[in-house]
Amino acid sequence: MRHMPMILRQVRRSYKQAGLFVLCVALSLATLTAFSGFARSVGRALLDDARTLHAADIIIRSHDPISAPLVQAVDRLANQGRIVRANVHEFYSVVRAPNEKASVLSRLKVVEPGYPFYGQVTLKSGRPFKQVLAIGACIVEQTLLDRIGLKVGDRLQVGYTTLTVDDVVTAEPDRPLDLFAFGPRVFIHSSDLDALGLLATGSHIHRVVLLMVMDPLQVDDIAGRLKKASAFDGESIDTYLTSGSVVKRFLDNFLFFLKLVGLFILMVSGLGIQSTLTALFNEKQRTIAVMKTVGASGRFINTHYTLMVFLLGAAGTGVGILAGAVVQGGLAWMLGPLLPEGLGLTIAWSGVAEAVMLGLTVVALFSFLPLYRLREMRPVAIFNRLPSVGITRWPYFLSGLLVLLFFLALVLWHMRDIVFGFYFVGAVTALILAAALLAQLALWAMRRLPVRPLVFRQAIRGLFRRGNATRSIMITLTVSLAVIFGDHLIEKNLDATFVQSFPADSANAFFLDIQPDQTEAFSAAIGHPVQFYPIVRARITSVNGEAIDRSREGQKRRDNLSRVFNLTYREALLDDETLIDGDTLFRNDWPEPQVSIMDTVVEMRRMKIGDRIGFKIQGVPLTARISSIRTRDSRSLSPFFYFVFPEAIMKQAPHTLFAALTVSPGQMGPLQTSIVSRFPNISVIDMSQTIGILARLMARLSRIVRIFSLFSIAAGLLILVSAVFATRAERVVESVYYKILGAGRRFVFTVFALENLLVGLLSSLLALVMAQTGAYWVCKVKFNIGYQPFLSVSLVMLAATVALTVTVGMVASRSILAKKPVAYLREQQNE
Amino acid sequence: MNLRTLEPARGDTITMALLEARNLIKTYTVDHRAITVLEDVSLSAEKGEFIVISGSSGSGKTTLLTLLSGLDHPTSGRVFIDNREITHASEEDLAPLRNRTIGFVFQSFHLVPSMTARENVMFPAELRGDPDAEARAGRLLSRVGLSARADNLPSQLSGGEKQRIALCRAMINRPKLLFADEPTGNLDSENGKIVLAQLIDLKNEHGATLVLVTHNPEIARAADRVISLKDGHLNG
Repeated sequence: MRHMPMILRQVRRSYKQAGLFVLCVALSLATLTAFSGFARSVGRALLDDARTLHAADIIIRSHDPISAPLVQAVDRLANQGRIVRANVHEFYSVVRAPNEKASVLSRLKVVEPGYPFYGQVTLKSGRPFKQVLAIGACIVEQTLLDRIGLKVGDRLQVGYTTLTVDDVVTAEPDRPLDLFAFGPRVFIHSSDLDALGLLATGSHIHRVVLLMVMDPLQVDDIAGRLKKASAFDGESIDTYLTSGSVVKRFLDNFLFFLKLVGLFILMVSGLGIQSTLTALFNEKQRTIAVMKTVGASGRFINTHYTLMVFLLGAAGTGVGILAGAVVQGGLAWMLGPLLPEGLGLTIAWSGVAEAVMLGLTVVALFSFLPLYRLREMRPVAIFNRLPSVGITRWPYFLSGLLVLLFFLALVLWHMRDIVFGFYFVGAVTALILAAALLAQLALWAMRRLPVRPLVFRQAIRGLFRRGNATRSIMITLTVSLAVIFGDHLIEKNLDATFVQSFPADSANAFFLDIQPDQTEAFSAAIGHPVQFYPIVRARITSVNGEAIDRSREGQKRRDNLSRVFNLTYREALLDDETLIDGDTLFRNDWPEPQVSIMDTVVEMRRMKIGDRIGFKIQGVPLTARISSIRTRDSRSLSPFFYFVFPEAIMKQAPHTLFAALTVSPGQMGPLQTSIVSRFPNISVIDMSQTIGILARLMARLSRIVRIFSLFSIAAGLLILVSAVFATRAERVVESVYYKILGAGRRFVFTVFALENLLVGLLSSLLALVMAQTGAYWVCKVKFNIGYQPFLSVSLVMLAATVALTVTVGMVASRSILAKKPVAYLREQQNE
Repeated sequence: MNLRTLEPARGDTITMALLEARNLIKTYTVDHRAITVLEDVSLSAEKGEFIVISGSSGSGKTTLLTLLSGLDHPTSGRVFIDNREITHASEEDLAPLRNRTIGFVFQSFHLVPSMTARENVMFPAELRGDPDAEARAGRLLSRVGLSARADNLPSQLSGGEKQRIALCRAMINRPKLLFADEPTGNLDSENGKIVLAQLIDLKNEHGATLVLVTHNPEIARAADRVISLKDGHLNG
């Protein structure tokens, strides 16, 4: 028996349903393959171009001065001619116009000749960077000139010295200019470093030593030797292949969330695949019954339709791969300046093969039930009679279990984090089950609603039309909308808490790197007594004697113990702090060093009172016992510290001071300029501006996530359209009978529109309930901030969804509405 | 279960009838309420016989036809076709029987809409793996005067043409048993007469047994035997 011609004919005849199935398969693949492809492209680009991106073969990094043994090892290699070295210092500082009228917090990069060993720093003039950056000169970003009203050739006050602006930088190899830019870039020659006077003890300096290895084959060997020579565990030594970068970290984290969205879309589209296929087979029910009546066996029917499903699935996979390429390009466009220069997007054959495998697996899994149901379709259906045999339940459970296992495997494959994978799959499953339960309840209530007006009665009846898939549509729409609404509500609450309602009396100007001998002069400059917070920079080396594995800690996506912490000392709680464990900040009955920790530290690793934490403070080890655990009001914008020590222990450690003041917006600029001109080593951060920059960045990233989440709504709408197509015959009969019995076109339109409106309204209402509950929990429990339901925003989202559902439903029904009774009756006579 | 040839057993008797139904009862459950549509119906049909099942609307004619043809299972009772019991046969076991032993003609034609007239006719033969399917379909179409419409889709045919195509499809595997459910019910009298004449001609030509459901007394007059149903019971 030749299946192919018959399959082609059936597809041609049901091209709309077949098209919807293809779209659902494509939709399930497009985003995930796009995100995976994008991650692969970025990974490959970063690896291919790793030397350029890191500007060196070996990169040594430290927040403290490089240890003497390591410096000696580098010197030895340099003297042997095996490497060339360039020291780089990066830090924030406020730079000023010579007239002291304007100032701006900038990212200073002080580089030795030779930088960059690979890649180019591109200048506006087109001249070579290495020739332009001379002693006494600086190269700045255009925004710096714009903000303080300078031009190339003008003088710029940096720290304790004045430099000439010689050119404008447009691109640098080791980071995109716009990535988390809290200030414009300033390049300075290393010979001017001492003149800047900004390298005081304890200052926030990022020290980097870039090495170019003369024999490329010796890169690993030399890096290994340097690691052995390093005497300080705060120093990291990486080759260009092993070194992480800000760009990579940012993209890894962002793509992690986008992949979650992709996986979610895949699940929702899977429901769409199942639903559209069921609708397609419902449409074919009569044909299948006829085929069985003339002797087609169950095996024949199954082979035939399985072939058809996989042919359509293959088409959907192809469309999905193409759409994935387009989405990948769209994502690159949306991320725009946050991406490294010259990032080329490529589509690898391995990626295509993975997408094909994924597509066929998705089709197989989600087609299993509809194909299985074909076995239960009896030839007696030819008489419009239901089979009098019971339906076997086990395939339904098996199908659910297989989908769950597949989803879990996919999450673990993409996320590579078992605990998170289980949480995510659990959350999505719970979301779908909750949506199913609520949809069932809502439909149960609708069926019993005592409604009098005829149009409403008919619309409600339409929801329960045979083959209408109302519950599937509602579950898919509810799940998708709940995620989108929830995301938006959380974002609005974060914005309201941290950006919009920045309290007028909150500290909004942070002063960093104040030296202990500057406190009196600083208070005098401010004009009133200032509270100073001592800051001692340190790393954690152990907890209860167990050494911290930095590489393992660093792989965690949340805050972790691998980083440098700012410790402080004081004897009392701050106003926004309370003790959640322990009676006092410190105990009098313990003779050994003590530390009070913030509850967020306990989230990084389980710790309790009496546990011992090992610190290394500028090379000096210190073990302290936890005396109390604090929490703080997270709505407060006051400075806070994870680790607080008694004054007696920490006072002699090298430290800087930090101050936070409330400054009116109009005074911020002048105060910044006046403080920095008197104390050039002090950095002033305008917190309201910083929060604004962060909020804009978060809004941008959140918008991208939301745009992709919209794809999941498309799955819900595809099911809606497929349900309209699948029930076309019934709808035509209803429409024609209404008209024959004297109803106008308007009545028919209203009944169908109301039916779609009910689907949209119920789905979005359920989604809103779930989103409000979820967002409330996240804000109150996870973020510990206040919660606003944003009712007007919720209403707009609800109205938009209803409008979209009604529009899509009515567009799909337009041929039904246009059907003339006489044409239908003639068709029936011919039957 | 496999279709089994009847062996003499306690309570069973060997029968020469091509079709035999014993004590058929069919009950449907609607809204938790049992409705009996057939009550203890027994009948048999010999080879080459033409039997009409008649009765008013709702008397259970079509239900009886679905049980006799194995399209549905009885609630109780037994059905034998060609000395094989089909009462509890699975769909997989019934498929070859429907393909080779039985032919169906329905009131609503039930042609596969995506197949042309020729493809509809040859489909059962193709399922059987008959290499001569297309030629035989062509001959049958020519026999009913529809060679010119062979490549038309069902939607391009008139009601009479559709039913003649359905007739050819039913006969292509030369079935021993032909079931027809109101085959002229959707046709005008002229077309009805043509279809009925061709149906009886083909039946006679192949020596098939014909079981025809109708409430048309004119057709009943052409039958060898008429079985009348009333409220699910055999009448008289």
